[in-house]
Amino acid sequence: MPPTVDYHCPCLSRSALPPPPHLPSSSFNFHALNELFFCEECDAVRCNRCVSVEVSGYYCPNCLFEVPSASVRAEKNRCARNCFMCPDCRNTLSVVPSDPPDPGDGRMAIPISTIGEPPFFLYCNHCRWDSAEVGITFEKPTGLAAQLQKFEDSAPDSLEFERLKEHFEPVIRASSLSSSTTTAPAAHPSSAAHSHRVRTNSITAAASAALARDIPGVGKHNPLARSGNRAGAGGNKDKTANQDEMPEYRSRVDVTSASKLGSGGGEIDVEYMRHLENVGEVASLEQRWMNSWATPLQAAELKPLRIPLHSKRSKRCPVCAHILIKPEQKAQSVRYKIKLVASNYLPAITAALPHQQDAVGDSSKRTLSKSTAAAAVAAEEERSAAGIHAGKTYPFHLALTNMLYDPIQVRLTVQRVHAPAALPPSSGRASPDKAPTTRRPPFAVSLPSSSFPIAAFAEAWEYEDDEDDDMFGLDDDDEFGIAGRVAGRDKDARGAGKVKMVGVLEKKANVTVVGGEVVIGKEARGNVKFNMLVSYTYRSDDPAPSESNDADGPPSRAAVANKPPEIKTFAFYTVVDLGPIIPREESR
Amino acid sequence: MSVPSTPQGKSSLDPKTPTIARVATSSAVQSSPHYATTRRHSLYGVEDRVIIDAGSRIWKVGFSGEGRPRDVFYAGGAEEAPLWNLSRPADALEKAEEERILEFRLERCLRSVFHDSLLTDPKARKVILVEHALLPLYIKDIMARILFDNLQVPSVSFAPSHLLSLLAVGRITGLVVDCGHLESVALPIFAARPLFPQLRTTPLAGARLTSHLRALLLLFGTYLPPPTSLSASSIPAANRSTRVPQEVLTDAVVEEIKARCCFVGDGLNDDSRVDTRDATPGADESSEPDLPPSESTQSESDFSFAGRSSHRASSEFSIISNPRIPAADNHRGESHLEALAMLYTRNSTATELQMRVVPPVAQQTGTGRGTLIIPGWIRERTAEVLFEGGDVDESSIAEVVLDALVKVPVDLRKTMASSILVAGGTSMLPGFIPRLQHELVRAVAPPQAPLRQPSRTDRPDRPPLPQYDRYACLRPMLPYFSILNNPNPPVATKARANANGGKAPAFSPATMAWVGGSLAGALKTGGVEVNREQWDSVDAANHDGDGNMDVSMEVEQQIVLPDWTRSPLPAGAPSANPVPQPSPVPVGA
Repeated sequence: MPPTVDYHCPCLSRSALPPPPHLPSSSFNFHALNELFFCEECDAVRCNRCVSVEVSGYYCPNCLFEVPSASVRAEKNRCARNCFMCPDCRNTLSVVPSDPPDPGDGRMAIPISTIGEPPFFLYCNHCRWDSAEVGITFEKPTGLAAQLQKFEDSAPDSLEFERLKEHFEPVIRASSLSSSTTTAPAAHPSSAAHSHRVRTNSITAAASAALARDIPGVGKHNPLARSGNRAGAGGNKDKTANQDEMPEYRSRVDVTSASKLGSGGGEIDVEYMRHLENVGEVASLEQRWMNSWATPLQAAELKPLRIPLHSKRSKRCPVCAHILIKPEQKAQSVRYKIKLVASNYLPAITAALPHQQDAVGDSSKRTLSKSTAAAAVAAEEERSAAGIHAGKTYPFHLALTNMLYDPIQVRLTVQRVHAPAALPPSSGRASPDKAPTTRRPPFAVSLPSSSFPIAAFAEAWEYEDDEDDDMFGLDDDDEFGIAGRVAGRDKDARGAGKVKMVGVLEKKANVTVVGGEVVIGKEARGNVKFNMLVSYTYRSDDPAPSESNDADGPPSRAAVANKPPEIKTFAFYTVVDLGPIIPREESR
Repeated sequence: MSVPSTPQGKSSLDPKTPTIARVATSSAVQSSPHYATTRRHSLYGVEDRVIIDAGSRIWKVGFSGEGRPRDVFYAGGAEEAPLWNLSRPADALEKAEEERILEFRLERCLRSVFHDSLLTDPKARKVILVEHALLPLYIKDIMARILFDNLQVPSVSFAPSHLLSLLAVGRITGLVVDCGHLESVALPIFAARPLFPQLRTTPLAGARLTSHLRALLLLFGTYLPPPTSLSASSIPAANRSTRVPQEVLTDAVVEEIKARCCFVGDGLNDDSRVDTRDATPGADESSEPDLPPSESTQSESDFSFAGRSSHRASSEFSIISNPRIPAADNHRGESHLEALAMLYTRNSTATELQMRVVPPVAQQTGTGRGTLIIPGWIRERTAEVLFEGGDVDESSIAEVVLDALVKVPVDLRKTMASSILVAGGTSMLPGFIPRLQHELVRAVAPPQAPLRQPSRTDRPDRPPLPQYDRYACLRPMLPYFSILNNPNPPVATKARANANGGKAPAFSPATMAWVGGSLAGALKTGGVEVNREQWDSVDAANHDGDGNMDVSMEVEQQIVLPDWTRSPLPAGAPSANPVPQPSPVPVGA
């Protein structure tokens, strides 16, 4: 796995410090740059975990029909047109006509209409499921969902649900009436008639409420409940029946009769399961679990599914509620009206291990020349050569790309995990059971400590090949410029002698490559993973926080020309994961 | 504050006002704090509440007023571990880390509920969280924090899942058994009031079933690796069969076998019943008449033929070339399972099934997929683990029901016994509910007289000690036992049992709690509601006090999420001068 660099989002947490990188939970706080947003108002990074999401439109992913939000609710977030999914394989179903009737004289029938012959049914092009198997056919090839609607409306669960609602509604209404008399007795004249004593304070009210709790087995004298008490014949003989004074509910379809039709987990189902020959005949859990009603086990009984709608979402900053990203309304469009993504604001960082790249290159060369039998060996060698072994020192490169129209000065700092109070012991390392008891990470990272420049972003044709870093007049940082050039030139001859590993290695256009070094401890395990604070300063010529000048010309020149440049600083944390360490005993 | 009916101080008691009070709050439903009516007039657009039934593995979400959930999904993916389980690390730092991870995973789930499943704006939707009676408080706190802080929902109410299940069958009184993934919980509910002190629980539930199934498959299943080449497929399957490699049985595969292949057979005959929990064959012949010594010696040879060949000549895979259980390293666990296997093979007539599985990475040399052969008795008898009682800490599901029933006040027992409701995903196994009924009756039945009466050595003249009979007090209830959603209710002698058994609407047990939540939401009621304003005010007070984020966990406990474990329990007689409660803390919900 190549090394990764992820960016921290503080997610409204009060502490800006990221969690220690060795904790497994830290990965939730870091995100790839392309997933992050940037709020200009708050000058802060926002991630998908903390933004507030609004639906700006619904559409069917199959027919791309934009569904008005009024009908989304009624259609249960599903496409109300002709879009269905296969219940077996979740492929999109297509509507097919029946075979034309055989005229009987052996000739091909002449199709009467262009749309085909009714009845129509749904057919899966992938698994050959068709809806005629479950008895679903259509008169017309359009508006299928509407034709199915009447079945859905008369689904047993919704009918039973309505009945339950009717059953409870009078009880609830009665109780809410009496509760209003309890909670506000003094204000209510009718309750005053009931109560001789005006309950003046809450204590007596509470006491009465406590006493009003029904006592098990003690029937209450309640005209309302008695009128509704039509507990059947059992109630008369059995004194303890219907103590809760709730009228008995009679199911529309009870589970006994439902199970006679082969559903609901009764004897029929057990017999079916006992003689089952093929696993595929039983529907899987995922195919059944949406059903709140007793449904047959058989996969053959599955009904076609209406395709769930998708939504276009706009996202807002959770603090200032400014829109961070807003798509265009049309379902077909993939563009955005507003798009404040972090990759336009923060320098993009990629990490690389040069020895890994060398190893990959070498082995691929060798694999080309050798037979395939050696490929496995080569791959093994490559793994060993490209891995990070304990007790060794490795250089690594960080390539920073500036996406701003201004040059920036970047400073990289490795977050020291020093404070033992704030830092849980490293028992939570990638392999907690074998974790060393040391608090410090088992490796040391060195990075250039001073700041270095990255040239401004410009369109590709504005760069000239030869003068990559002199062009924007950034020579105020001479030592690094020279170091970068020297190191860059020596890069090809690396390995021949001692070369500079830490420092700016290469500058080209708006990309600067800096080198770092990691010293792996002898007993190291886990991943080489460290938090790195990236702080950069840029000149912003207007106090408005839009640092991306919309001027297309070289912005640096304009900034230099007038006004005292206002220097702004922005800092963010990243986590750099260089990959797993190969422990001592394993390494060859 | 929209929690009207809650008595402020339950401990306060004024002996002068009984009759008035009784008239005033007459309705049983109203007087229940769990079913308190909240606002009748809801704001525009928010009438439909969001019902979230959040389990440790499977979540069901949807809008109130609908008969089925809009979406059901595995929280965090089918292959991932459940969100929480029964144990927590003891170390404080590990615990904090675990809580952080849980918070992130819950946050992902809850955000996807609103944004992916329901496509709705969380800021406009009140939420009813279906809450398991034993849901740990820290999880509840985390969920409330995410809902209020991250998603900014207007209000959250917590509704006990057992009560909601009961609502879904149109009742407010009954004994509800919820067989979920982590545990099975029996809770009696009277007049919409859960009798939490009578709650009984056991870890014999879905997770245990899964691990038992895996153990049985590893030992008694057969695996046919894919043929090494297409031409090699002519090799008879018996020569290719091996033991099941552990890697084949991924969580998803075991889960699929559980959902698609397993069912619950009829109860074992009492004479062939063995205490399968810890008995080794032949350890105590006197109490286990089904395992005569002759047979236990025979079993070794039986098993070298995989225990099936003699009985089922029809199965071509039954003769395993390598004896799968070498007698030498036959340790205790396996020999126990062997005894089980013998017993179960005799008591099962289910067909053997083949299933295609992805071969393990190390053996992916062949063509196509491997074949897993699941013996029929595993399909039928894996669920026996749920019905095997005898352990103090892990009583069987029937024992859990009976234990709860024993604790119920005597005059409620008949009512509870005749309205047992089974909910939860594990009870979706075909045959589960009829079997539970059978087990209930069997457990209450008078114990068989032991073969040899242990004669009292000290007083030989006295009659022998009576056997311990835990459920003797329930024996008069026997004709009343009826499970509301039993698909095959036995014909009972009492009219009441007949009137109840199997008369519940045919909602599936797994979604019952969700349906009840939907019903409660549609009736504008539900558990105790916590408003965003309440939350924010407490939250703000917390953060003004100290800016330290790390202790916010402890501080935020001050916002009293309603929970039955936090209800003040009256100690003895109520005091004459009741101390005003900090906030209305109702019992339960």
